[in-house]
Amino acid sequence: MNPCLLCMKPISEVASWQSFFGIEKKKTLCDDCSKRFVRADIKEEGDVLDAVHSLYEYDEAMRDWLHQYKFLQDVALAQVFSNELRRAFSNKDTIVPIPMHPERARNRTFAHVETLLDGAKRPYVQLLTKTNTTVMGEKSRHERLNMGQLFELVPGAVVQPITYRLVDDIYTTGTTLRRAATVLKQAGAARVEAVTLIRSIQK
Amino acid sequence: MNKPFDPAVRDFLDGRIWLRQHTPFSVEKINEHIESGMVETTPGVKMKKGLFGQPSCKCVRCENVDPQLFTSFDCLQCEGPCAYCRNCLQMGRVSVCTELIVWKGPCTEYPTEHALAWEGTLTKRQKQASKELYESIVRARPHLIHAVCGSGKTEILFEPIHKLLLAGKRVCIAAPRVDVILELEPRLRAAFPSTKLEALYGGADVQAFDAQLILATTHQLYRFRHAFDAIFVDEADAFPYTAEKTLQHAVRKAAKPDAPIHFVTATPSDKLLTDIKKTGAVSTIYRRYHGHPLPGPRYESLWNYSKQLSKGKMPKALEKWIQQRLELSEPFLVFFHEIELMMKAEQAIRQLDDRIRAVHSAHPDRKQHVQDLRAGKIPGLLTTTILERGITIKNIQVAVVGAEQSLFDAGALVQIGGRVGRNVNHPSGDFVLFHNGISYAMDQARREIKRLNAGGDQP
Repeated sequence: MNPCLLCMKPISEVASWQSFFGIEKKKTLCDDCSKRFVRADIKEEGDVLDAVHSLYEYDEAMRDWLHQYKFLQDVALAQVFSNELRRAFSNKDTIVPIPMHPERARNRTFAHVETLLDGAKRPYVQLLTKTNTTVMGEKSRHERLNMGQLFELVPGAVVQPITYRLVDDIYTTGTTLRRAATVLKQAGAARVEAVTLIRSIQK
Repeated sequence: MNKPFDPAVRDFLDGRIWLRQHTPFSVEKINEHIESGMVETTPGVKMKKGLFGQPSCKCVRCENVDPQLFTSFDCLQCEGPCAYCRNCLQMGRVSVCTELIVWKGPCTEYPTEHALAWEGTLTKRQKQASKELYESIVRARPHLIHAVCGSGKTEILFEPIHKLLLAGKRVCIAAPRVDVILELEPRLRAAFPSTKLEALYGGADVQAFDAQLILATTHQLYRFRHAFDAIFVDEADAFPYTAEKTLQHAVRKAAKPDAPIHFVTATPSDKLLTDIKKTGAVSTIYRRYHGHPLPGPRYESLWNYSKQLSKGKMPKALEKWIQQRLELSEPFLVFFHEIELMMKAEQAIRQLDDRIRAVHSAHPDRKQHVQDLRAGKIPGLLTTTILERGITIKNIQVAVVGAEQSLFDAGALVQIGGRVGRNVNHPSGDFVLFHNGISYAMDQARREIKRLNAGGDQP
């Protein structure tokens, strides 16, 4: 039995027919740790970005998770929300992850959004590249809203007049997602929606 | 042969195993030392193919080999399959393509002048134990000080540590719990005023690079390698030291290859006792330093406490007990087996006195609350087992709610009871076990305390 990914304590699992036949997915967290994450399911609609669905609110549990995943580079934590992320999409969706600058991705040793989607077993297409190495988390709200170009199309990428679903880890001011959506729409996308794992609510 | 090097780099790295990218020095400076051969690099995780092609990993920093605690992934840095260790992740991730550095140049020489400013006197038994311990140190064999709670274990170490320091040796006192380290630090600083001393625990940065006396949680020892001439493991049986094999490896690795590891505890496990008896020596002290017996536990039934507390109701007997402590203004600790139940109880209990607080391992203000209790600013604390050892508060009274829970094994109960009556002027106190049925461990603890008290009568 694998221990809980967060507290390392053994996970108590009740034997069931589902687990016996392997239908039920193996738990990655113990009950105590999974209880800390409460689904928020915040949905919003807009113009550039036609719809945004955020699965969780940015709370203490999420802050800890994000810190361990992104900054301590604990790749294994991508598994924690794999089921939830998987269910946020359908098989027909065309998924576009928000890219990292290649240099930054190399420093982190993994691209966190793509690794999340890999964990959720959802295929994606990478249509965008990041043009600079700026880090959103280090900028003020004002700076974020007044930034130059962030993304461009991957050379040779073909954007069709269909719906694309962007994916990012966290939605704070929405600048990142709106910039990415603009690039896709200018290239001919009919509709751009977004799914983010976390929604940070500005207080 | 005399190559130049920066003494600060030597002081910092000598005895440590550190992430190349995260030293207090500039990258260029570290690179220079690597080029001149003063610093050696090693891969962070060693990956080997097993007999059937399955990879097996070993973390070079924490020596973890548990396959469950390694995660493989496609690394964008080394552009291939890579693996990292999850066991020591909190100290900065170590993976196959991460480099660790160790010092290869001439060793740091430590000063040989140290003052011992402790002015108390040891009892006859303490003196003898101290002498026996020093003899073991000289003969480089492990030693166990098995002494009841409140017998003055720390003071026994002073003289032998002082002698080690005078010989220019580097010494470490390690404990599995940060609370024990925090309690020890001021006492040791006072005892060794002229010695460079540093306390290391999660969240504390390395400040004194060339500290000769180091207090550290056993976790912090992951980052040491062949550093110490002697290590004293305090409260050796406390979770998680006994639970985690890697922590024991870490202690071994932090000591120089031929340096012995000594143990100090009130409740040694059977395994520790038998292991030590094979290769080392044991000193036993049954009497507290003030000569009074250990307070034995008192049983009191608290039927269905869990249900009542969950509903926000105060069980009568518990209410009466706390009320009494408040009236007599005696400081008290109430132990709980789980945080959730304790938090529910806190709301009910704070109706008796709003200054009462609850602490647990993840509580941000736990240090402050314990200090407030000691200073008499708050009348009592509710706590999980984090305060079961190492805490000394004058005239403290102790209750355990749910003493029959499996978390409270005999050792834990003896330790909890050991908080009571440690002061000369208050050598006794109430130690009550509120239970929902008497467990075997409770009886075992009561028998053990009786046995220890009886042992004191036969010198």
